[in-house]
Amino acid sequence: MRAEEELIRKRQRDRARIMALLLGAFVVLLFFITIAKTGMNW
Amino acid sequence: MPTVQMTNPAALPADWRDFLALTKPRVMSLVVFTGLCGLLIAPVMPPLVLGFTAILCIALGAGACGALNQWYEIDVDAKMRRTSKRPLPAGRMDPQAALHFGVGLGGFSVLLMGLAANWLAAVLLAASILFYVLIYTVWLKPRTAQNIVIGGAAGAFPPLIGWVAATGQVSTLPVLLFAIIFLWTPPHFWALSLFVRSDYANAGIPMLPVVAGAQATRRQIFLYSLPMAIAAVAPWYLGLAGAVYGLSAAILSLVFLVLAARVLANRANDPAEMGAEKHLFAYSVFYLFALFAVLVADRWLA
Repeated sequence: MRAEEELIRKRQRDRARIMALLLGAFVVLLFFITIAKTGMNW
Repeated sequence: MPTVQMTNPAALPADWRDFLALTKPRVMSLVVFTGLCGLLIAPVMPPLVLGFTAILCIALGAGACGALNQWYEIDVDAKMRRTSKRPLPAGRMDPQAALHFGVGLGGFSVLLMGLAANWLAAVLLAASILFYVLIYTVWLKPRTAQNIVIGGAAGAFPPLIGWVAATGQVSTLPVLLFAIIFLWTPPHFWALSLFVRSDYANAGIPMLPVVAGAQATRRQIFLYSLPMAIAAVAPWYLGLAGAVYGLSAAILSLVFLVLAARVLANRANDPAEMGAEKHLFAYSVFYLFALFAVLVADRWLA
């Protein structure tokens, strides 16, 4: 039972990390989309 | 890491790699490539980040199709050796998680496409996802041997979407690219389904070799290869691509026809003796990659 709990926690941690990375990447992408859409050049 | 015996593995939070597997990354590579080519041959080049986002949306849309297809076909996949180890039939994931993932990914890809590129591209992306899931997976695939012929339209959308994402409108060249993939799909899939026929038969999927037999399928492969070859050289004939593309398309298509003729001449029913079919299947993947790559090279060299 303890090993199963450990596995659950590990998967939750892994998924949380991936989700954080994806959300971070999405924020960066949205920033650059906004820059491109508004036609700012710098 | 100790091996853990679970009473119900699907009750665990699924591993992120299983979510990735749901998107069928290998199928996605061809979709992304053809979509990218559609974008690169367009007369208008969008800003890099918008072009990247459009291709990302095509990839996510294809991933959504893969996830929803696997969610709907859990029972079928479990009966086929080729697909029985996928996350859902293997019991590594809760089906509802796959459904939510697929719907979420599809909706997200369409919204992002609309916001980053344009809404015509978003509508086409939504249409291709719905076509693949509802028309192909749910309606045609379990019912008719023509499933792959009509369903092939779903896989033909990416270059059209890539072009529309860049230009905001539909024109002749991307429609021809649509036609090439549409006509390429039946010979490609039927070559595969000939040497995995028993898998499809066991799963009750009415693929052409199961319903009409190997010889009828071989005739159909050759017959479909003819209009496909004509569609492949049409961009050059119509003046929409240069001589580099025209010559390359003619040679690539001629080799395709020779391999299709070898399939037509084969009489084997044992998959072990279907070398011609395996060659055609492998070449068909190379053919599509090469044809689109040459089209881009031709456009950029001109």
